[in-house]
Amino acid sequence: MASNDSQVPAIMRQGKIAPWLYLLPALLVMTAFIVYPGLNTFLLSFRNNANTGWAGDNCVAGQTCWGIFENFHYALTSEIMLTAFLNNLKWIVFMVTGTVILGLLIAVLADRVKYEPIAKAIIFLPMAISFVGAGVIWKFMYNFGTGETQIGILNAVVVALGGKPVSWLTEPQINTFMLIIVGVWMWTGFCMTILAAAIKGVSTEILEAARVDGATEWMVFIRIMIPQILPTITVVMTTMVINVLKIFDIVYVMTGGNYGTEVIANRMYKEMYSSFNTGRAAAIAIVLILVIVPAMIFNIRRFREQESMR
Amino acid sequence: MNKKVWKMIAVMAILSMAIVACKPAATPTAAPVVQPTAAVVEPTKPMAGAIDCTGVTAGDEISMLYQWSGTEEAALNAILKPLVDACGIVIKPESTRDQALLDTKVQAGTPPDIAFWNVTQLIQYQDKLQPMDVLGANANNYASFFTDPGTINGKWLGLPVKADIKTIIWYSPVVFEAKGYTVPTTWDELDALVEKMVANGDVPWSMGMESGDATGWTGSDFIQDILLVQQGPKYVNDLMTGAVPYNDAGVVKAYETYGKWAMDPKYTVGGAQGTLSTGFLDAIYKVFSDPPEAMMVKQSGFAGGEVAKQYTDLVYGTDFDFFPVPGAQGLQGGADWMMAFNDTPAVRALVAYLSSELGGANWAKATFDLSPNKGANGNYVDPSLIKKGAALAETKGFTSDIGDTIPGGFGSAEWTAIVSYVNGGNLADALAAAAKVQAEALK
Repeated sequence: MASNDSQVPAIMRQGKIAPWLYLLPALLVMTAFIVYPGLNTFLLSFRNNANTGWAGDNCVAGQTCWGIFENFHYALTSEIMLTAFLNNLKWIVFMVTGTVILGLLIAVLADRVKYEPIAKAIIFLPMAISFVGAGVIWKFMYNFGTGETQIGILNAVVVALGGKPVSWLTEPQINTFMLIIVGVWMWTGFCMTILAAAIKGVSTEILEAARVDGATEWMVFIRIMIPQILPTITVVMTTMVINVLKIFDIVYVMTGGNYGTEVIANRMYKEMYSSFNTGRAAAIAIVLILVIVPAMIFNIRRFREQESMR
Repeated sequence: MNKKVWKMIAVMAILSMAIVACKPAATPTAAPVVQPTAAVVEPTKPMAGAIDCTGVTAGDEISMLYQWSGTEEAALNAILKPLVDACGIVIKPESTRDQALLDTKVQAGTPPDIAFWNVTQLIQYQDKLQPMDVLGANANNYASFFTDPGTINGKWLGLPVKADIKTIIWYSPVVFEAKGYTVPTTWDELDALVEKMVANGDVPWSMGMESGDATGWTGSDFIQDILLVQQGPKYVNDLMTGAVPYNDAGVVKAYETYGKWAMDPKYTVGGAQGTLSTGFLDAIYKVFSDPPEAMMVKQSGFAGGEVAKQYTDLVYGTDFDFFPVPGAQGLQGGADWMMAFNDTPAVRALVAYLSSELGGANWAKATFDLSPNKGANGNYVDPSLIKKGAALAETKGFTSDIGDTIPGGFGSAEWTAIVSYVNGGNLADALAAAAKVQAEALK
């Protein structure tokens, strides 16, 4: 072995420095685009809105003030942010379950049809449309006309069935769910693709053995397939949670966060670019990161477990 | 094999998401103070009709940022052509509706020489702008209610170049005549007219205000006009300075007046949901469709152009026309403000030209909305601009949009209040939330 080492040029030997040299480009990019902006955002979240002093300057006399944490006072307790938290929770619950269940269902069913690639391609297609495009498309679908004709397909159907047209995007009880449907439509394809790959990985011997032993298709699905692909399901779910926490485009395009559909990321954008409250926007960004980090840690951990199992 | 490929895709997708998760916020950096490059020379009084090119060398560039495009941009070029031809100035324009671009440029220390933007930016960038009087702007050509909003902490920073009046109501003279309605001249007459229309089974108003993340601005315009009727311009200015809180009794009354119409399908197309979900452009069209869905729409001067575009066979003056909101004491309007970040001879020539009588006249002739410059009077060629220009020349007061004037997100707080009120929310709560933002912004 020692003789081998001497034949390797010095620069290629794994000393203390060489690995860092290989990492350097990546580290530089990470520092410039993640670490520095991240730290700066953190700093800005404690500054006032014009970045001329500390956040305590934003306090209004006679109201509760959190001093240097005043931006977080807004980000954590203001009414609009509470609405945003609640809505993000709705998004997580309904969009994540919606995409994963639908994705799983389609993956299992598509596995059994002759035209599997076409079926999957159709389901996957919305992923190729930009969020903004999807928002505009669905805005037309949900259109509420005040006249006789309804150009929105949903209201056209409702009217054709003898109902009264509904203003889908402004009714406070239903509008967030209408937006979630758009999200589900867009992301089901993503879940389906990954879950389908996992299902293909379930060994056919076990499945056949179960069927030979007299298991019904349902039992095969519940008792064998699901446990086998559970790690993948978890990874897909956590990925979707991270995704949904950052949901912005659909809400921005379709309602602009009005009518009680506000979400965290949209509020961040509004504070930054329509109100120019840099400090508040930074504080919301920090809160958003803090909410996402646990999901990411969980995700990475599960992913490692899954890798080590192979 | 297949499994591996999909796993890799999954890993890549997850990693890319992880990277995106740490979305960086914008990082403002201190902009270097821009020093005037030219020595301060006594502005020579240009003769009316002459263009002053003092100090400009042919080929000097002016970088510009504005929100206009298409025909608007063409109109601006027509207005600037005499200056370009006389002085050999090269205009380097950039057109965007994205204010973030302007913010980024200013924060990076590379602002455009000239920006045409909103009055709020005069406050936002007051430390970075060059005063208009130093640049040689002619204040005599502007009424005080046009120079005052552009004067921040005693410095005259913004030149209003283009204005539009909002305190007007569009209607169809043909339909009015056929149905026996007459144009009201007092608020009570308007109120009576509205009730008469309802009694006849006509829907008086088209109040749709959907406009993406700016939904509500049509409503805030309407409410400000009601305030001008019920309380007058001083009250509106007091709201802007914070002397009157936004949940004052007068504001509540104006909201209730507005809400009575905006939330009832008898008074407005589609009732509350129609108001919330009808786009502001569709709301204009509904008054001029055949048959009309509503009798009147309160909308700024630009509505006439939209009607002409949508219904090319309609003629201004017979098929569509406007009347001032009856009883309004003063006009509400929006203006685009010219602001200068750099002091160069070319910028001085531009400021002097646009603030001169000739500049005002050329602006009027270009049919690019109204010019606050007195030189515009009598020079409009478009019939609707002639009428609007006359209203502007006669007005005793001109208030800009409350939401545009108060910084710190008051505009969007105001819209939120209107949207939530029309959507069935509690009025007192909605106004209290807006008043809180008002107090925070103006403390």
